[in-house]
Parts: sequence; structure tokens; C-alpha cells
Amino acid sequence: MNTNTTLSAPDVAQPSVDVSRLDVKIGVRDLKFYYGDALALKGINLSLYRNMVTAFIGPSGCGKSTLLRVLNRMYDLYPGQRATGEVLVDGQNILAAGQDPNLLRSRVGMVFQKPTPFPMSIYENIAFGIRLYERLSRAEIDARVESALRRVALWEEVKDKLHNNGLSLSGGQQQRLCIARTVAVQPQVILLDEPCSALDPISTAKIEELIDELKSDYTIAIVTHNLQQAARCSDFTAFMYLGDLVEFDQTHTMFTLPRDRRTQDYITGRFG
Amino acid sequence: MSETINRYYPGRRRRNIVTTGLAYVATAIGLGWLVIILAVLLWEGFSGLSVAVFTEMTPPPGSDGGLLNPIIGSLIMTALGVLFGTPIGILAGTYMAEYGRHGRLANIVRFINDILLSAPSIVIGLIVYEIVVYPMGHFSAWAGAIALGIIVIPVVVRTTEDMLLLVPNPLREAASALGLPRAYVVRHVCYRAASAGMITGVLLAVARISGETAPLLFTALNNQFWSTDLNSPMASLPVVIFQFALSPYKDWQALAWTGALIITLAVLALSITARALTASGKRS
Amino acid sequence: MTDTAIRAEAPPNVAAASSREAILRRMRGSDAIFHFVTRLAAITVLVVLGGGIAALVFGAWPAMQTFGFGFLTSGSWNPVTEQFGAVAPMYGTIVTAVIAMVVAVPISLMIALFLTDLCPMWLRRPIGIAIELLAGIPSIIYGIWGLFVFAPFLQTTLQPALIDLFGNVPVLSNLFAGPPYGIGVLTAGLILAIMVLPLVTSISRDVFDTVPPVLKEAAYGVGCTTWEVFRYVVLPYTRVGVVGGFMLGLGRALGETMAVTFVIGNAHRISASVLAPGTTISATIANEFTEAVGDLYTSSLILLALILFVITFIVLAISRWLLSRVERRIG
Repeated sequence: MNTNTTLSAPDVAQPSVDVSRLDVKIGVRDLKFYYGDALALKGINLSLYRNMVTAFIGPSGCGKSTLLRVLNRMYDLYPGQRATGEVLVDGQNILAAGQDPNLLRSRVGMVFQKPTPFPMSIYENIAFGIRLYERLSRAEIDARVESALRRVALWEEVKDKLHNNGLSLSGGQQQRLCIARTVAVQPQVILLDEPCSALDPISTAKIEELIDELKSDYTIAIVTHNLQQAARCSDFTAFMYLGDLVEFDQTHTMFTLPRDRRTQDYITGRFG
Repeated sequence: MSETINRYYPGRRRRNIVTTGLAYVATAIGLGWLVIILAVLLWEGFSGLSVAVFTEMTPPPGSDGGLLNPIIGSLIMTALGVLFGTPIGILAGTYMAEYGRHGRLANIVRFINDILLSAPSIVIGLIVYEIVVYPMGHFSAWAGAIALGIIVIPVVVRTTEDMLLLVPNPLREAASALGLPRAYVVRHVCYRAASAGMITGVLLAVARISGETAPLLFTALNNQFWSTDLNSPMASLPVVIFQFALSPYKDWQALAWTGALIITLAVLALSITARALTASGKRS
Repeated sequence: MTDTAIRAEAPPNVAAASSREAILRRMRGSDAIFHFVTRLAAITVLVVLGGGIAALVFGAWPAMQTFGFGFLTSGSWNPVTEQFGAVAPMYGTIVTAVIAMVVAVPISLMIALFLTDLCPMWLRRPIGIAIELLAGIPSIIYGIWGLFVFAPFLQTTLQPALIDLFGNVPVLSNLFAGPPYGIGVLTAGLILAIMVLPLVTSISRDVFDTVPPVLKEAAYGVGCTTWEVFRYVVLPYTRVGVVGGFMLGLGRALGETMAVTFVIGNAHRISASVLAPGTTISATIANEFTEAVGDLYTSSLILLALILFVITFIVLAISRWLLSRVERRIG
């Protein structure tokens, strides 16, 4: 969206951190991904740190969304897509045979580009996921629904219309509902695939605030087209180009002292 | 350049006037015929309509009577046919849209289903005769219901698959992202999203079989008398219409018209309900 | 590229994770069952068709053995001497279907053109809905109307006119040789035309609606007339769907029973005149099956049904093949 504007003085919010003191939540080792015969990821190595926000940037088709969809094995839903290499979540290779993708997804939640409320009430949208995994009383579920909605700052807006259809909310509210739904099943990692690209600036600001708020409990990965957004709300940034990970560093460093020529060109808006 | 355009333009304009004029005429002819058919049907049907039609049995020639037994027979066999065909249709449609979308089995079933969809219904009647009536040794309402059920299946398979394919993939992914296995994604999210369309499909199938005559001719046959025994022949509105219309008796012919009116009104009501459902589904 | 070593760490909340694992394992089981059941239902569709064909072949076997391929070339249909041949009903089936398509397709396309390009906006929806509703009216309604209204009407108007008009024209005089019975091949074909009209119209309209407005606007932009846009933009763009609708209508016309049975006259003979009574495969079966005595008679009727099935199967297979070829060319 804003990739054409020149970032002369990027507004990097997050201070730099001492990497050696961070826990690795997800480790990606030599990851290759194929759509049929086409190689979409050409051997990716990087680490997502616990309680950190990692942003993935790069021009369209660079593989950033693909990478995100490997982290919860979403690609499994489609025949002909496969991944090789290792993705270690808490040290366990999720690409290995015998791994349950559904269990993985219950730990690694995902929010999509367009809001995807289920065709049911606001309340049910959230209670649905909770009920699957836990046998709870009505009151307990009510409490969990409320806390999930509070977590995404949606409670005050919807508490009087919990039984309206989720589709009756505005786009930004729907997206926060989807985040609440993800949070409600208590994942450890949240993947956000361009969560703001369909939203207006005010809703976008709310989501960004929310991301900052959520990282105290979750490890977050966000794909974005909006460089300011990456600069504003991520601790680490990965720049991808044509299926390669060109540069991965702390956001602060990346936006002030990019090492690769291509990164520099991209974040200054010379291509994209 | 502009001279060329001018030279050809009058001819093109004339051709346009003639052909678009033909389109108006075609519409008038097409709709005109259909209006005439409906007008005659309403006229002939309503002139024979009375309470007796719904309370009395089909009469022997020359005496008064009604259409109670064929109406009940049609209701019973239609209901059974739907009960029999809908679950198979929905499950098969689900397989094709959700599990086997690009697989070989789904492609073959899709092809076969299209053929069943437009297979002549009289052939289906004969098939059920061979498989059910002949081994049992007698005509029965069961056989009629099975024949109708076989007609329901492809209609429901088709609409179920189409409606599930309309469910956006991100919705499936969102449900899967919560960790749900496919069956839960389908049953709790996809079915809900596609429900209006799927119900429409079932209603259209009901509309289709409630007027079907050919598959009942050699399965349920006909029955002059009151019967709810599923093991014996059963009257149905379309078969009675067929029999009465081709008879030389005026009062039988009048009843045939009335029966035709009842079927048409029922089918129209079902189709309108189905349309209203999809319309409301699209709005939400 | 920055990278740090992965450090092992204890998975948090072990108890919750293991109970979740158990729940998911149960769900996976139920997923497998659901998958299996849906697959079984899909296979049922194949079994229904396969079993149906097998039943027809089984039932038709005596006739096949007795008559062999002669069944397809013999015009006789004599229950007394038990001599049966399919030529007359096959001929009737094809001729009535051809008449129906020749009449219905141009009218349908023109109505669809009217609905998509000429009709005032406020009228489009009502007419569109009316046509869709009419497409669902049971064929027996068309049959009864044909018998009591249309056939007598033709007998006194169109048929005498045709006989007068073509009586002295060499070939056509045979085609329209009298007397005007009312019922007959032409009447059946016209009833079929009226019956498939709403079906073909509504499909054509739907596919015409898929033409992107920009495409039409571009054509209007270079000065095309409504007809030229239709002829050179809309039709080429939608031929796939139009052929699909045409084939669907043809399949329906070939297999239709009730609308035809009432008005064709059920005469087992091949007459050059379309005004003469004839029969179709489906009308023959509908009229004679319950009264057929003797295994060979019944078996011959089932063989007729098998032939009808094969014909419609081929029509549909060809249409799908055509469509896939056209689709490939576009894509």
C-alpha cells in the first residue's frame, strides 16, 4: 500500500535487543517449498523468537505468505504442495511424518488477509473453537468469550449484540473478532497474513496496537506489504525476494542499516 | 474513412433493427405460449376444483369422486424419495467438493452424476422395475419411492457440490487454522455457509419429483383405492392424470386437469420458496 | 544473514497439550469415518448407474439374443408374431428432438438476447423469474395441454395450411402429406420445443450474463450495433455455455416421455410425413410396458430403454468433450 513512498527516516518503534538472550520458538532450516514442480521457497533459514514480533516483507510473490503457510502446514489442504527441510516448533520438526497438523494448528493460530468470520453469531464464532478442545460449563465459556473479546478490545463494542451474525460487524471489527477467535483456543504462536490490507487506517492502527499488546503472551509472525507497519510493530524483519530470504535482522538494524543492496532498494521504495 | 463507415452504416442499421425486432417477437411468442398454457391450466383446473377433490377417492368412470388417494400417495412417495436420496446426495456432493475435489473418483462421479441428472426418467423407472419390482414380484410404493430417490440424488449432488464450492477457501483455512480436522470444518462451517443453497437444491429436487410420471408408471403403478401400504401399488397424482387424461370420460378428464393444476401450484410454490431462500442467503 | 542456534526449551503447559492431543486424536477418527462415508456415498452414485446399466442389459438380454443387431435395423413391431425392431421408435425420437431443437434454440437465443440487452431493467427480473419457474413445470402439464388444446388447434390451423402450402412442392409435399390428424410427429416436436424453451433460455441468459460488461462496452465503443455486439462478441465469448445449454435441451427432448406420449399417436411406423402419427422410444415404453405379455416383448422394451440410455449418454459425452475442447482453446 505504502511501498511507493520513500522511507527517508523510518519510524522504528522497537528498540534493539540482545539476540543471544532470546528463546527460539520456531526454527526454520533449509526450507524448500514446491507448488507442483515450481520451487517457491529456495532454502530458507531463520528463527522466530519467543514473545517477539517478526515481520516478513518483500514484493508480491516473493514467498512470504507461502512461508507463513508452512509454519502451520496450511498448505496440507491442497494437493500438489509440499515442503522439505525442517521447521522446528519447540524443537520438534513439524514437517516430519507422523506430526498431527491439527494439533500444530491449535498451537500455531492464523489470521488471514480478509476477515473470515464464520457464518454464525459473534458469540458462537469464539465459543466454537473453545468448545472443541474443552468441556466447559456455559458460564465458563461465557467468561472465556468475554476475555477473548476484551483481549482484542472488542468487548465494549459488541457486548450488547453478541448474538448478531459475525458478518454484521465492520471490516476492522471482523478482523479483531478473528484474532479473538484465534486467541480463544490458546495458541502459542499467531501468524498474521497481511491482516490489515483490507482495512481502513483507523482499524489498522487498532490492530497494530493489539499486536504490540499480544506479544507479551504470544510469538507473532506478520506478513505485510506496508513497510511502515513492519517498522512500527515488529522486533525482527525478514526481507524476502523471489523465494529467497535476502536479509533477516532486528527491525531497527534492517531499516537503518540494511546490508543487502536489494533490501535497501526495497525499503527506500525503488522497487516493489 | 468516414465515407466507408457511412456507406455501410445504413445496411448495418437495418440488420440491427430486423434482428432486435426478431428478439422482441421471439420473446412475445415464447412467453405467449407459456401464458396460454398456464391460462388454460388455471381455467380448466379451477373449474373442476372443489372440496370433494381433496376428500374423496378416485371414482370409477361416470360417477363423482376426488383425488385424495393419489394426493396422499404422491406425498408419501415424494417424502420417501427425498428421505432416501437427500443424504446420499449431500454426502456424495460433500466428498466431491471437500475431500476429492481434484481426484479421479470425484471427476468420474461428476461425469456420471451429470449423466444421471439428464438421464431419461422413464429409463430410471425401468431400472427400478428390473431391480425391485421384478424380484419382489409385484408393484409397490417402495419401488416408486426408490425410483424418485434415484432422481433426487443427482440433483442434490450437483447443488451440494456447487454450493460448497462457492464457500470461500479462506473460510475453510480459517477453520482449519483453529486445528479442526476436515470433517469438522465441513460440518460446522461449510455446511452452515452453504445451507441456504443446499436447502434450495433439496426443494428443487422435491419440485422435480413431485411432477415425475414416467418413473412411477412401472414401479408404484396405480391404485384405484385408498392405500398406505408401502408394499402394494399406490396411486400418485401424475399417474392418475396420465390415465384420466387419456380416457374417453369427460369427468375423468376434468379431474386430470384439476390434478395438473394442483401439481403445478405445488411445484411453483416449492420453486418460489427455493428462490426466496437463495435470495435471502445472498443478502446476509 | 543473522541466525542463532536453537535452544531447547520445555514445552509449556504439558497437561493441557496432552489432553488436546487426545481430543484431536478422537476427532481424527471421526474425520476418517466422515471421509469414508462421503466417499461411500460418492461411490453409490457410480453403483446406481452401473447397477442400472447391468439391470437393463440383463433385462434386455433375451431380446438381444433373439434379434441381435437386426433389432437396430428392423422396422417391424409385431407383438403377435413377436417380431420387434427399434427403427420406428428411434426414428421418431430423433425426428421429434430435431424439430424441437430447430424451433426452440433460435427462439431461446433471441429471448436471451432480449433479456440481457433489450429488455427494460424493471422487466428483466420478473421475466427471468417467470422463465425459470416455467422451466420447472412438470412435463405432464405440457402433455395434457398438448392433447386437449394444442393438437386440436394444429389440426384446424397449421396443419391444413402446411398441406395446402407444400402440396405441390416436390420434396416438401411428402414431408407435409395429410390428412391433418392433429396428433403426430410434428405436434410432439412442437410440444417438446415449448417444453425445452424455458430451460435453454434460462441457461443462455445465464451464460450471456457472464460476458464482462467492459467487453460489450468496448464493442459498443467502436460503434457496433446491438446485433453486432451479440453476434461478434457475446456469442463467441459464450459459445461454451450456449452449446452446454443446447445439449442439455437436446438430452431432455430425446428422453422426454410424458409430453410426447400424449400427442404422438403411438403408431409403429416410419412415415415421411411429419404430420403422421409416429412413436418415440419413451412413448413406446410408457404405452406398452405394463401391458406387454411375454418375456420377449418385455425384453424388447427394456432393450429400447437401453438404446435410449446409450443415445442420451453419447449426446452428453459429446457435449462434455466439446466443452472441454472449447475450454482448452480459450484457456
